[in-house]
Amino acid sequence: MTKKTGYFMAGSAAVLATGLATGLVAYYTGGFERVSASAVANELRYVPADATLVAYADVRAIMDSDVRARLKAVMPTHEQGQKEFQEQTGIDIERDIDYVVASLTAGPNAPAPLVVARGRFNDTQLEGLIREHGGTVEEYKGKRLIHAPADAPPDPPAADVTEPGATPNETPGATTMHGLHASEMHHRLVLAFLEPGLIAFGDGAAVKTAIDAQLTAHSVTGNREMMDLVSDIGQFNNAWAVGRFDLLSSQAKLPAEVTSRLPPVKWFAAAGHVDGGISGSLRAEARDDQGAENLRDVVRGFMALARMQAGADPRAAAVVQSLQLSGTGKTVALSFAVPAEVIQMLPQAAPAPAP
Amino acid sequence: MADTTTPSRSIPAAPGVLTAALRIFDLSLGEMLWSRRTIFMALVVGAPVVIAAGLRAVVALGAPVLDQSRGVTGPMIFGLMIWVFYLRFTVPVLGVFYGTALMADEVEDKTVTYLFTRPVRRGAILLGKYLAYLACTVLVVLPSVVLVYLLVVPLQGSLGASFLDLLKDLALLAIGLAVYGALFAFIGAQFKRPLLVGLVFIFGWEQVALVFPGYLKRFTIAYYVQAMVPHAMPNDNALSLIQAIFHETPSLPLSLFWLGVIWITFLALAARAVEQREYVLEQ
Repeated sequence: MTKKTGYFMAGSAAVLATGLATGLVAYYTGGFERVSASAVANELRYVPADATLVAYADVRAIMDSDVRARLKAVMPTHEQGQKEFQEQTGIDIERDIDYVVASLTAGPNAPAPLVVARGRFNDTQLEGLIREHGGTVEEYKGKRLIHAPADAPPDPPAADVTEPGATPNETPGATTMHGLHASEMHHRLVLAFLEPGLIAFGDGAAVKTAIDAQLTAHSVTGNREMMDLVSDIGQFNNAWAVGRFDLLSSQAKLPAEVTSRLPPVKWFAAAGHVDGGISGSLRAEARDDQGAENLRDVVRGFMALARMQAGADPRAAAVVQSLQLSGTGKTVALSFAVPAEVIQMLPQAAPAPAP
Repeated sequence: MADTTTPSRSIPAAPGVLTAALRIFDLSLGEMLWSRRTIFMALVVGAPVVIAAGLRAVVALGAPVLDQSRGVTGPMIFGLMIWVFYLRFTVPVLGVFYGTALMADEVEDKTVTYLFTRPVRRGAILLGKYLAYLACTVLVVLPSVVLVYLLVVPLQGSLGASFLDLLKDLALLAIGLAVYGALFAFIGAQFKRPLLVGLVFIFGWEQVALVFPGYLKRFTIAYYVQAMVPHAMPNDNALSLIQAIFHETPSLPLSLFWLGVIWITFLALAARAVEQREYVLEQ
């Protein structure tokens, strides 16, 4: 055998062996991410395997969209608040955040939220801000974790999780969702610097689980059902959410009469594409074909009702006309579109009075 | 008086069939690999790789080629490529071009005499050439399949989830090359115009027999090879559609059994033909 032939055979064998080794590794680790999900593939590795909800938003694309520009013109924005936030944190919400991945994982008492954000952050400024307010620093498996101060009053966003009827003024010591005290929830908030340009914040346990998930390669990317849905809706949408409806509704501790009326849905997915207009889809995977058929009937009823109501308003009529119900077997899907023309029809906000 | 007779030199024993086959393999592999036929083989196995790379580039540029709701995903396209490019074309065509040439080339080049004057069994020559064909085609076709897998499957698919299918594809393509090679080695050793006979077999007989209902398809190799494919059969043309209507799938053990029978039978027949046939070289 000549040297040339030997090299050729060795090269062919190397290509074959490399491909097989790659496939074997992918097979044992649950499969490499799909190309369609590659924009968030790295961030999804931080989402724990048992997450019940995963959501994504391409913040930059949404901020730069015509819809956002139009809405900004229509609705007055709190520019002063944004400016203060930027001064304190160094983050310009309009420009510095590229995209975020959020998840919800079942915790012992309450669901543990986690947000992973990709962008340009001033780590020193963020850490300094929290430490100034009494935050503590912890090293966890090579990542820097900043715990929110234990006795600090909750930030205004904490009011979002108060029970209906509770006023924001009640927050110190107020009982929040699932019986957790606001101060306790705040205490559990942690900011972690995962990688350059990648931060995570959320429940302390969730942040640590996220770091473990990435290190042990035991993340949501191994959840085939969820990744199939993510792959399906993630390609052409700049915001989406996929979750286990049954688990989320059981964690929400809803009253029995509400739970009994909920459709038998296992998975749900919501996706939207924000650009000149807004297009989106809602998808539910029922437990069985019968459940899906019942859900389709309910949706058909609502669509008929919406068509009756929307007759007079051309904007509503355009949206209702775009509603499309589809899906076979266990899948129920509803798509809609808000055309750019409808967005343009929104009335301009009145100019702010001169000071 | 001094003894002038020289001691007689003992004649070395002729090598065994396997040793001889391996020597012929060593000799033939380079010849086969760097022949003009290799250009044809490179085109045949390179085209799917180029198409896969093009598809990957088009998807990366944002073209809406994939549509999961209609099942158009990377693994589905990979399955389609295995059917259309490799199973229906590459394997039988490489089998016919290389298999029929194993002995025919030596006859055509009038070099068969030199091989036959060597102290090895004629059957070992065919066996060595057949092994060279197998190494040459397997080491070209299988890496091409692996490259297509790495390029196409991650498009809305998972490398891990499709890995077992890849293994099945590689195995069945190797089996296909082996069996087609054995059949065409026999045709090359037995018939005068082996290439024509081989092309008629793969593009005539196999296509027609697979379409007709009944037992005729059992006298094809494609019937057994296609039974092992883990991907859905494409209905890309009228012939495929008819084929799908009358499609029957023999079980995996039955397919493997008959492919084994065909392989051994035709390889033995080819060796026998080479052993017994008197090759008359045209002047």
